[in-house]
Amino acid sequence: MILLEPHNVIIQTTILEKIQKPGSLDVVFVDYDNVRFHLSTPERKTVLLLSMNIRCWDELVQYGALDILRREYGSLLATQVEPEYNVSLEIDLEQVPTDAESREAFVTSLALLKRNALAAPFERGFDTQKQLESAGGQGELMQIHYRDEEAMYIQAAPDRVTVIFSTVFREETDRIFGKVFLQEFVDARRQPSIQNAPQVLYSSRDPPLEIRHVPGLRNSEEIGYVTFVLFPRHFTKSVAPSTISHIQLFRDYLHYHIKCSKAYMHSRMRHRVTEFQKVLNRAKTEVATTERKTASGRTMLSR
Amino acid sequence: MVEALGSLAMSNVLRPYLAAVRSTLTAALTLENFGSQVVERHNKPEVESASSKEVLLNPLTISRNENERVLIEPSVNSIRLSIKIKQADEIERILCNKFTRFMMQRAESFIVLRRKPVAGYDISFLITNTHTETMLKHKIVDFIIQFMEEVDKEISEMKLSLNARARIVAESYLTAVSNCLT
Amino acid sequence: MDTAFRKIDIDIYDEDVLQESELYEADPRDPAEVLEDAKQRAAHVRSLLAKNDIPGALTVILDNAPYGPNVDDAKIITLQTLLTILNTTKSADIPGVIKALSLDTQDTLMKYLYKGMAMPGWGDISGSVLLGWHEKLTEVAGVGCIVRTMTDRRIV
Repeated sequence: MILLEPHNVIIQTTILEKIQKPGSLDVVFVDYDNVRFHLSTPERKTVLLLSMNIRCWDELVQYGALDILRREYGSLLATQVEPEYNVSLEIDLEQVPTDAESREAFVTSLALLKRNALAAPFERGFDTQKQLESAGGQGELMQIHYRDEEAMYIQAAPDRVTVIFSTVFREETDRIFGKVFLQEFVDARRQPSIQNAPQVLYSSRDPPLEIRHVPGLRNSEEIGYVTFVLFPRHFTKSVAPSTISHIQLFRDYLHYHIKCSKAYMHSRMRHRVTEFQKVLNRAKTEVATTERKTASGRTMLSR
Repeated sequence: MVEALGSLAMSNVLRPYLAAVRSTLTAALTLENFGSQVVERHNKPEVESASSKEVLLNPLTISRNENERVLIEPSVNSIRLSIKIKQADEIERILCNKFTRFMMQRAESFIVLRRKPVAGYDISFLITNTHTETMLKHKIVDFIIQFMEEVDKEISEMKLSLNARARIVAESYLTAVSNCLT
Repeated sequence: MDTAFRKIDIDIYDEDVLQESELYEADPRDPAEVLEDAKQRAAHVRSLLAKNDIPGALTVILDNAPYGPNVDDAKIITLQTLLTILNTTKSADIPGVIKALSLDTQDTLMKYLYKGMAMPGWGDISGSVLLGWHEKLTEVAGVGCIVRTMTDRRIV
């Protein structure tokens, strides 16, 4: 698996299962970026309650997340939010579409809850760009602090939308591996087949100009900034949803592959070291072990 | 085929270096049991304890350049061999660091490996008279030489694989983003 | 409590302790004399090199080479002169040149090869040239030559 999927597999499989065979349920699970989910049947076996806790909820609401969720889920949105969570959906299993195809689509849309909530600032950015085309000027710089030390910044301009990620490389290996990966993101666009992809810029340590005035940015070796420049062709009506899904997963995608590389290096080293061990073992002289017997004919054993 | 030629070319460049390490190490590996002259009933690797000058021999260095060298410190009952491994850039440095660390954490199964490298080197081996008495001397030399040969190769292969992976990762991502355009 | 006494190096009062000077016999000559000698040899080597007499040049520079403490300048001049000889010799000629040297000269040459390799990046030291000479010299003089470099306390 090279690309990450935007939907949550646990939501998808659990709900599909419960549609087939309703039963009481109470599971808590997590997604990327410390997003917590709670899927339960508080009242009846046929009514599922899906709640989500996301760190940057207040910011997302500010950028119109509730409108998007209302658009996507309509009446499913519960009026009473479960305590400790930010948003709840109430799913009546008896009213789920019956034909296989639309049921599948319905469940997948539920599994995209996190993606849809995070899509709000992107959609607002894309809309702002449309307005600025005639009006000119700069859009508001939207900040989404989706992790403790890492954030996403989105800003619209008359001809583009800029998305900036700040990401922390906690150890030196991550930092160096991250640099190699990000350099490839910058270089890959030279390939003719992907020249249409959004432009990627990368800077370590120094934040890019767009966000340099933001207070509280740390200037340290371990921080990297990745900028995506999206032009209107990247977010026309038909492609915007897929662009949003991909871009918002960028940080997780990058770190996922850094971890994979480290794991691969580790298994390689393990293999190579075993090989060295074999070479060294060849140097050991064989100690002849002959069976020793006592006078009465019993075999002596060493313990 | 190309790969085979590549490794052949590399080994030709490396050959005099490895040959020099091999002959120097062979010369140094004439060890005998030797009790401490300073403390009664102690028997320590003299190259480590350095308690008496007369049992230490002249340390010898074999080098290709400043970044690739081997230090051999002989003594009457033990020798210490330290290797500085080639590190062309930041990536090779971190890979080398990880690799040697990985090995040194397993020092007890590598008998002749020292847990810490001598200052200025990446990895050190300590061979004592006990080792040369229980193991075949020329096979220990073979092991060191093979280690030197393969560690360079392993590090450059790891670097290549990292770059290749990064390229695939970047391309798949950007292709996925740009495919929705067409 | 006074603990300074713990830091006293009592070994220097030990009559049996081994001194550096007891390990080998020092060069009886005066450092200035040795330096002058090294300079003369360097000039001699240049004239021999002009005649393309490489074994002769090596013998001149390596016989009675400066050793021991206090003669660092003379050692440096000798090393520099030796490096010019080593760097100018064609690699095909090396085995023949080495075979023409006496056993003692071969041993001193080995000492200098290791000295050069211990200072990579200094002057015109080239690792591959030194390694090339080392390989040929080991073929001719054997591992014993390396052992003598390790054991001889008269460090060049």
